Amino acid sequence: MTTTLEHPVTAAIPQGGGLARRQNYATGVAAGVIFAYLFWLISHMTLDSTGRPFGDQVATFTCVGWMIGFWIGIGAFNGPFRWLLGRDHTHEDDLYYAGQNMGKARYWKFTTDHKVVGVQYIVVVMSLLGVGGMLAMAMRTNLITPGNHFINQQIYNSFIAIHGMVMILALIVVIAGPWGNFVMPIMLGARDMAFPRLNALSLWTLVSAATLLVGTLAVGGLPVGWVVLDPISDQAGVGMDFFAMAILVFAVSTTVASVNNLVTIFTMRTKGMTLERLPIFVWGIVFTAILGLYAFPFFIVAETLQLLDRTSFTSFFVSTGGGTGWLQANLFWLMGHPEVYVILLPAVGALLEIAAVMSRKPVFSYRTAVGAIAALSGLSALVWAHHMFTSGWAPTLGGPFMLTTELISIPTGVFFLVLIGTLWRGHIWMKLPTIWMFGFMANFVIGGITGIYLSDIPLDDQLHGTMFVTAHFHYIFVGSVLFGAIAALAFWFPKVTGRFLSESLGRVSFWLVFVGVQITFLAMFISGLKGMPRRVASYSILFEHTNFASTIGAYIIMSGMIVLLVAIITSWNKGEPAGPNPWGANSLEWMVPTPPPLENFTVQPVVTEDPYNFDKEVVRS
Amino acid sequence: MNRSKSLGIALASVLVIGAALGLAGFALASASPHQTPLVCAAVQGQSKTCSLTMATYPDSGEGVHGKDGGPHPDWVTYSNDNVILPANSTIDMTIDQYDSGGSLNDAFFDQIMGTTGGTATIDGKTVTHVDPNNVGHTFTLRNIPGSGTYLFVSVPLPADPNTDNSVVLNGTHYNKPVVVQFSFKTGTKGVYEFNCEFPCGGSRQGQFGEAMSTFGYMSGTFTVN
Amino acid sequence: MSDTDNKKSLKSFYWMWGIGTVIAVLLSLWAPGHFMPRSMSGNMRLTILTMVVFSVAAAPVVAGVYAIAIYAIRTWGVHGDDIPPPAEQVRDNPKSVGTWLLVSTVLTVFLLVWGLTALAADNASTGKNPLVVDVTGQQWLWSFSYPGTHVQSNELYLPVNREVEFRVTSDDVTHGFWIVNMGVQVDANPGTITTIHTTPNRLGDFTIRCEQFCGLNHAFMDANGHVVTSQQFNSWLAAQPQRA
Repeated sequence: MTTTLEHPVTAAIPQGGGLARRQNYATGVAAGVIFAYLFWLISHMTLDSTGRPFGDQVATFTCVGWMIGFWIGIGAFNGPFRWLLGRDHTHEDDLYYAGQNMGKARYWKFTTDHKVVGVQYIVVVMSLLGVGGMLAMAMRTNLITPGNHFINQQIYNSFIAIHGMVMILALIVVIAGPWGNFVMPIMLGARDMAFPRLNALSLWTLVSAATLLVGTLAVGGLPVGWVVLDPISDQAGVGMDFFAMAILVFAVSTTVASVNNLVTIFTMRTKGMTLERLPIFVWGIVFTAILGLYAFPFFIVAETLQLLDRTSFTSFFVSTGGGTGWLQANLFWLMGHPEVYVILLPAVGALLEIAAVMSRKPVFSYRTAVGAIAALSGLSALVWAHHMFTSGWAPTLGGPFMLTTELISIPTGVFFLVLIGTLWRGHIWMKLPTIWMFGFMANFVIGGITGIYLSDIPLDDQLHGTMFVTAHFHYIFVGSVLFGAIAALAFWFPKVTGRFLSESLGRVSFWLVFVGVQITFLAMFISGLKGMPRRVASYSILFEHTNFASTIGAYIIMSGMIVLLVAIITSWNKGEPAGPNPWGANSLEWMVPTPPPLENFTVQPVVTEDPYNFDKEVVRS
Repeated sequence: MNRSKSLGIALASVLVIGAALGLAGFALASASPHQTPLVCAAVQGQSKTCSLTMATYPDSGEGVHGKDGGPHPDWVTYSNDNVILPANSTIDMTIDQYDSGGSLNDAFFDQIMGTTGGTATIDGKTVTHVDPNNVGHTFTLRNIPGSGTYLFVSVPLPADPNTDNSVVLNGTHYNKPVVVQFSFKTGTKGVYEFNCEFPCGGSRQGQFGEAMSTFGYMSGTFTVN
Repeated sequence: MSDTDNKKSLKSFYWMWGIGTVIAVLLSLWAPGHFMPRSMSGNMRLTILTMVVFSVAAAPVVAGVYAIAIYAIRTWGVHGDDIPPPAEQVRDNPKSVGTWLLVSTVLTVFLLVWGLTALAADNASTGKNPLVVDVTGQQWLWSFSYPGTHVQSNELYLPVNREVEFRVTSDDVTHGFWIVNMGVQVDANPGTITTIHTTPNRLGDFTIRCEQFCGLNHAFMDANGHVVTSQQFNSWLAAQPQRA
């Protein structure tokens, strides 16, 4: 491997930047609000106010205004606009945009440095998880006893949908956002992503979309479930238009990010970094990005058609007009199932990376691992209708979809094999990343097995729409993906901050969250077995004990996440100091100083082997 | 950081942040829209009986949703969304129906169901069902699973035939209402939910949007104590 | 580590795996029947049986993963702040990969065959003339009518041991018609009719719940059902108010 120069002497902030010198998150919000109001005003005055879709039309235009205004205000259009004028960015402009020497201010701006974007993603993800978590706590509090005592059913129903979508948004980016950005380019030996401005765009677009999504709560909520099936979504107020616009905006963010990831990985690897020497985490990102590019356009289509139905008298999904809700359901799940693998695969890649480093052994059967990730990605495109087994749509397709869904258990099993094989007879360093990884293993096997139950149609005929389903996917989302995300955070935290995430607070948090997950969701499986439907604000007396247990468990999870938050905050500046390579790893991100210099490498490294030869004793640095 | 110090920090942070969240939750619960409760009035000389009067209006202008009819002055509404009843009692209910009507989309609801005797008295006449093509709203009450005993009452409220504009409420004129009276028995303590089953609420499919899906207009809670 | 050392130390893993599997199998045999609603149809009995079979099949998998995790931590876990020394750099083991793939494929095929067989059994009509019941879901109530009679009710009465065909539709949004004790459900969609069959084989009361989110009072959309003898069924039908 190669060495890098030390941190350059602090110099002045570059002269360039133009308009961007005055733009940041505050100007973005301000411009977004102003444009939203303008668009609201214009649409309010010019559209037919007696028409049935008037409210939806105005709401849609208002959201478009917010989106455009935010982009203008944050400075996303500066580059293209100047290119149109023939005054493209100079090198000084680029350095300004990359945030050279700007200190903390650059985290509030449209900064192109992938490391800044990575940290911004951490903050955005934590905020989204916080909002989603609060909604979950409100819901679980309502369910602590039968009868509906805490919030009325309309508020509860709205919380269900927003909790769902906010958490989905957060989990899609929870690993690919922070670590696909901060770590991955350095892992490849690159100086930044292929399209640094698009990278900043994808982050700020996510912020813009998330604002619309959470803002739904302020405009009447979304009491129609996060799947926004037609026809029930027809009954929602303007909250549904906000939701659809949030999704369309988010789809821009995710498409741009996927393209950026793929181009970077396939064209910007440093010399000697063949595909066989790629860290396994990068393969996780590759297949996540490909799957995302395949899947999200379906969501774009579904939401566009829903908006058209709501604003323009079309009837794609309205049965009284000749359409059918089944079309919406199919389009949604064509996206929805690959989406959960978009959520899972980065965690898979990150955990294999962590397992190898912390066991001091190579990834077991590297090619098989890549094959399993590819198979998971490919097969996930073929299973979507298992969400529709009981919808009454195409009963003859039940068998084929049962087949494809059960087949997915094979690459999932192979992933377990690779993970276990990596740990087998290793010298497993029991630090925070490792601990969360073991928690992942325990939870993912339960989440996976219960998924197989649901893939079997006779079982699904009983369990579909019950809390059994909810418990299954929470074991995957909370028990597996979130555990993987926290493992990744603990693993790469020293590279971002130069400090360890507090080992003691982290362990307290782990045990609280792990025990909380078992109590909450095992009890929830039993609720479902007993016959409790999902998405309900109250329930029969039959389910009171299991729900009480689930609520207590939820409070325990919340306590654990509070402790984790405190750990992150206190460790960021005051944690135990760590050197540039505290885990003794071999991938390139550990070969640069902490924090990494602006363009990562002064001289690009030349790679001669994969990062999994641990047989040289590594001096802790 | 040693073990006991970190456990101390963990405990302290959970307690502090937990308390803050608890306060927020309390604020949320108090802010849940709920009108002042209407308590069923005891009837002189009859134990275990009380009388309750509600109404259905063609708009929200009569004061329940605020001075100018609240955020949706043109939405139809019940007079109350929060009623308190005694347990194990007979409830003599009167509903003044001020709204016009039309044809039920499910004729199932033209029956009187669950009342004492299976009948209701409409403007003095006792009936077991009404004309399904001339219904204004329905009063359909059910128990929430997990709360209270089984109870199902459904009474169709006929469309108001009067056109005399003779009643003034909160400055607005309404026609004389059609008066519907019936009785039913409550069981044990619990939470019960009522809503109208004749949709008229704006969306293209099923008309269950707007007032029909917004708590406090065409739906509400009966609490039996 | 010598080969005998390896085999000896693996013993604790096998013990944990074995005991874990036994506990999981016992749980699998007990839990489904205990927790799932009382079975009142052949479908439901098959569903509960499938739950047991799948759980027993999954038991060694779950126990295995837990055992490996605990074993790995106890045997190979290194504590402390120093980077552990390198382990044996094993990169592959085609035999174990092949075995694992084979076993998981066999297991998956078994589950698939069981599932498809159960599915076929559920779909097989007895051929007898089924009782047809029209089910209408409306926000937020189920109503049932019996074609050929003029009866419409919000409680579902069924005669025992007679196959029923439910023709399910909705007046507004999508609801989920789920007979909790009979293991069948299908969505009620506006503008179209979906169908399910079952044969109640036990007398008693059962519950119908809505399992597809349908708006404000979705949680309160339960209905009561009763399986009665044929005579009781006919007298109930006759006693209902006749509707147009």
